[in-house]
Amino acid sequence: MKCKLIFLNIVTGICLASLPGWVGAVGFMPHQPPLSTAGSYTQGVNYYMLALNESDDVIEPAGVATSNAMKNLTVQPVEFEPPFFSRSNAHKYLGLGTLALVGLTAIAAPEEDESATVSSKSRTQGTHQSLGRLTAAMAAATVTSGLLAHWDDFHLEDGFTDPDNLHVMFGTLGAMLMLNAVSKAPGSGHPASGIAGGVAMGAAIKLTW
Amino acid sequence: MMQRKLKMSALLAALLLLNGTCAGAEESFAGWLFNFQRSKEVKPVTDSQYKSECSDCHFAYQPGLLPEKSWRNLLTAEALKDHFGDNAELDKDVLQAILDYAVENAADKSWYKRSRKIAVSASEGNVPLRISEVHYIKRKHQDIPEKMIKGNAGVNSLSFCDKCHTQAVSGVFDADTVLIPNYPDWED
Repeated sequence: MKCKLIFLNIVTGICLASLPGWVGAVGFMPHQPPLSTAGSYTQGVNYYMLALNESDDVIEPAGVATSNAMKNLTVQPVEFEPPFFSRSNAHKYLGLGTLALVGLTAIAAPEEDESATVSSKSRTQGTHQSLGRLTAAMAAATVTSGLLAHWDDFHLEDGFTDPDNLHVMFGTLGAMLMLNAVSKAPGSGHPASGIAGGVAMGAAIKLTW
Repeated sequence: MMQRKLKMSALLAALLLLNGTCAGAEESFAGWLFNFQRSKEVKPVTDSQYKSECSDCHFAYQPGLLPEKSWRNLLTAEALKDHFGDNAELDKDVLQAILDYAVENAADKSWYKRSRKIAVSASEGNVPLRISEVHYIKRKHQDIPEKMIKGNAGVNSLSFCDKCHTQAVSGVFDADTVLIPNYPDWED
C-alpha cells in the first residue's frame, strides 16, 4: 500500500511537471530555427557576435561619429505591451502558487488533539494530504517551467554566488524536499522535510524577486 | 487549531510590518531581505541632475549597469574630454555630484539582481568602460544576429539600449519587454 502511494505520488508529480513543457512546445517548437554553434560565445575569445553588432560609427575612437550616429537615428514611436502570459510569467506564478500552497498545507496539518473526533481528524488529514500532493506537484512543475524559460540564465562558470545559480539550487532542493515529504507522509520526519522544502523554495524566490 | 492560525497570522503581520519599515532600504542586506518590492532588474535613475546631464546626449544609463571602478574611470574631468569620441566636459561640482550618484548606485553596491550579476561578471579581468563590454551583457546578446542590430536602421548599435528594451528607462531589461524595431517577431 505504502509503495503504491509513493509510486502514485511520483507519477502525479512527473505528469504535472511536464505540463508547462507541453504548453510551451505547442507554439514554440515548430518555429525553432536549427541550432547553430557558429558565432556562439566562448569565454576569453574576442570574436563575439556582439562585436559585429557594434556600428562602425559608434566604435570610431575619435571625432564626432558617436553624436552623429545618435542624432541620425530615426526615433520610432514604440507601442508595445509586454505579453501577459509568457513562459517566464508562468514560472513566476507557479513558484508563487507553490509558496502559497506550502502555507495552506501547513495550516491544514492535523494536530495531535486527543479530544478531536475520529471523523474530524480524518477530514483534516485528507485535506492536508491533498494539499501536500498538490504542493509537491506544483513545485516540480515550477522547476520544469524554470528550466524551459530560463535555461540560458544558468551558467556554472558564474560560480555559486551568482543569484540565478543560487535560485536554481534552492528551487530544485525545495521541490525535492517537498516530494520527499509527500513520499514519507504520514510517517514521522515528513513535516521537517516539507517545511525545509518550503523555506528553500521561499529563499529561491527571494533571490531573484 | 485556532491557536495555530493565530500564530500564523501574527507571523504574517510581523513580516508585513517589517517590510513596511524596510521598504526602500535595499542598500543593506537586511533591507533587501525584508523588502518585498521587486528588485529583479536594475535600479532606475532617481537623480534628476544625473538624468538630465546624461540624457542631453544619450540614454541615461543606470549606474547599476557598471561597477564602481568603471564609473570612477569614466567620470573624470580628463576622461570626459574624450567620452567615446565626444567632448562631454562638465562643471566640477556637477561632475562630482554625478560621480557620487553613479558610485553610490554602481552594480557592485546594488542589491538589484541584474546589477549583482553584472558585478559578479565584471569582477574578473579588465575594468569594462562600455556597458556592452561587460561579460554578462555580451553573453545575453550573443545570439542576436547582426542584421537586427548593426544592420538595423532603427537600432544601429547595442549602445542604444532603449531602442529595443521598451522599459529600459524603468531599469527593466527582461526578454518579455524587448521589441526590436523592424523585427517584431525577433524571437522566431
